[in-house]
Amino acid sequence: MSTWIPLWMHKLASPPTFYRVAGAIRPWALALALLLGAIGLYGGLVLAPPDYQQGDAYRIIFIHVPSAWMSMFIYAVMGVAGFVALIWRLKLAEVVAMQSAPIGAAFTAITLASGSLWGKPMWGTWWTWDARLTSELVLLFLYLGVIGLYHAFEDRRQGARAASFLAIIGVINVPIVHFSVVWWNTLHQGSTVNVFGHSKMAWDMLWPLLVVTLATKFYYAASLCARARTDLLDLEGGKDWVRKIADAEARP
Amino acid sequence: MAERVPATVTTACAAMLRRDLLLAWRQRGDLAMPVLYAVIVTVLFPFALGPDLALLQRIAGGVVLVTVLLAMLLALDAMFASDIEDGSLEQLLLAPQPPALLLGMKILAHWLTTALPLIVIAPVLAGMLHLPTAAMPALVLALLFATPLLSLLGAVLVALTAGTRRSGMLLALMLLPLCVPVVIFAAGAVAAAQQGLPWLAPIAWLAAAFILTVVLAPLACAAALRIALDS
Repeated sequence: MSTWIPLWMHKLASPPTFYRVAGAIRPWALALALLLGAIGLYGGLVLAPPDYQQGDAYRIIFIHVPSAWMSMFIYAVMGVAGFVALIWRLKLAEVVAMQSAPIGAAFTAITLASGSLWGKPMWGTWWTWDARLTSELVLLFLYLGVIGLYHAFEDRRQGARAASFLAIIGVINVPIVHFSVVWWNTLHQGSTVNVFGHSKMAWDMLWPLLVVTLATKFYYAASLCARARTDLLDLEGGKDWVRKIADAEARP
Repeated sequence: MAERVPATVTTACAAMLRRDLLLAWRQRGDLAMPVLYAVIVTVLFPFALGPDLALLQRIAGGVVLVTVLLAMLLALDAMFASDIEDGSLEQLLLAPQPPALLLGMKILAHWLTTALPLIVIAPVLAGMLHLPTAAMPALVLALLFATPLLSLLGAVLVALTAGTRRSGMLLALMLLPLCVPVVIFAAGAVAAAQQGLPWLAPIAWLAAAFILTVVLAPLACAAALRIALDS
């Protein structure tokens, strides 16, 4: 056992401990997500000035951009968790990878839907075969493939390992798809927000965007905690710690 | 009891290739199926779109590529099916020779029996859609690199689904994201050749991807089979 990893991290990987810790984190993360989401959306939809070209239609970025970031972020989390699950065979890593997939797929679907709602008035079309749109669609298919493969197995843990492997192949594939579709000249704008430099966006519009982004992160944390908890109870159904929880809840 | 010396890697690989090719030859009827499927799909296009020469010429390259891809996808499901049923795939993983090499031979046999007939028929299909003769070399070269790529990538995915109930749709869903770059580059080469532009660059990309995949995919395939059969 490596000594550089603190003991509490090893402990956190055990299902009963994680169940307890996740239960403690979840309400806080959910409350922060709701609070920040409310502040960010108020800032974005009410306080921020309309755009000089697009008027109020640009306000969809306060949903679209954070969702797009989350769709990639969650895929990365899924890939790393899948990697850990395959190499160290941690049950918790399998649970995290597999329970992240539906959340990521939902964020990807929101990105595509909100983008096409914006595209109709701005580009004059719901959908176009542009590089970014196509990459995002491929990302959605990757998510769906992982979810589908996970559920195709009778044995849950085996399904989780196979789907983790597919997720890792997908991680390699995403940049390849991205650069191959960039070959088509594209309609989608480049990135405006720059982490390491000057963003080409007014502060009035930028801060709500960043706040909503934080809110989506917390929402993901809360949602993952809840999903992982129920999944752990399901997986560890026959174990002693689950029985204790069930007994405690059955007692009035 | 005499000590049994394990066969050398070369002998084992040759035996594996010979066995798979022989099995395919004994079921010759099945070999014609992907070709027949490709012909039928291609014939449907002029019916659906009308026999407009200019339109058919414009879409010919893409239609042939996608048709070949779909025909391969149909045949992919059967790559390991019989070996899983009779348990010989588990024996293959237990063999003293590296499983990646033996699986590579199985993939090669599968490519020879399904993709090669499709490549042979592809110029005929393209001709039916009036693809200019000048673009034929580009099409055949693109297919020569694109089909083994699909076979190799498909083999990894088929190995992953080895322990599941049969589901062709799932395989299609998993293969689609992986074959997007292949289709883009192959179609790019054919389109460039059709416009009289230099078309070797996309072919070179395909060849580079093929070399990378031929090294990595058998290893990934072996790892995937270990996961899928481990129960």
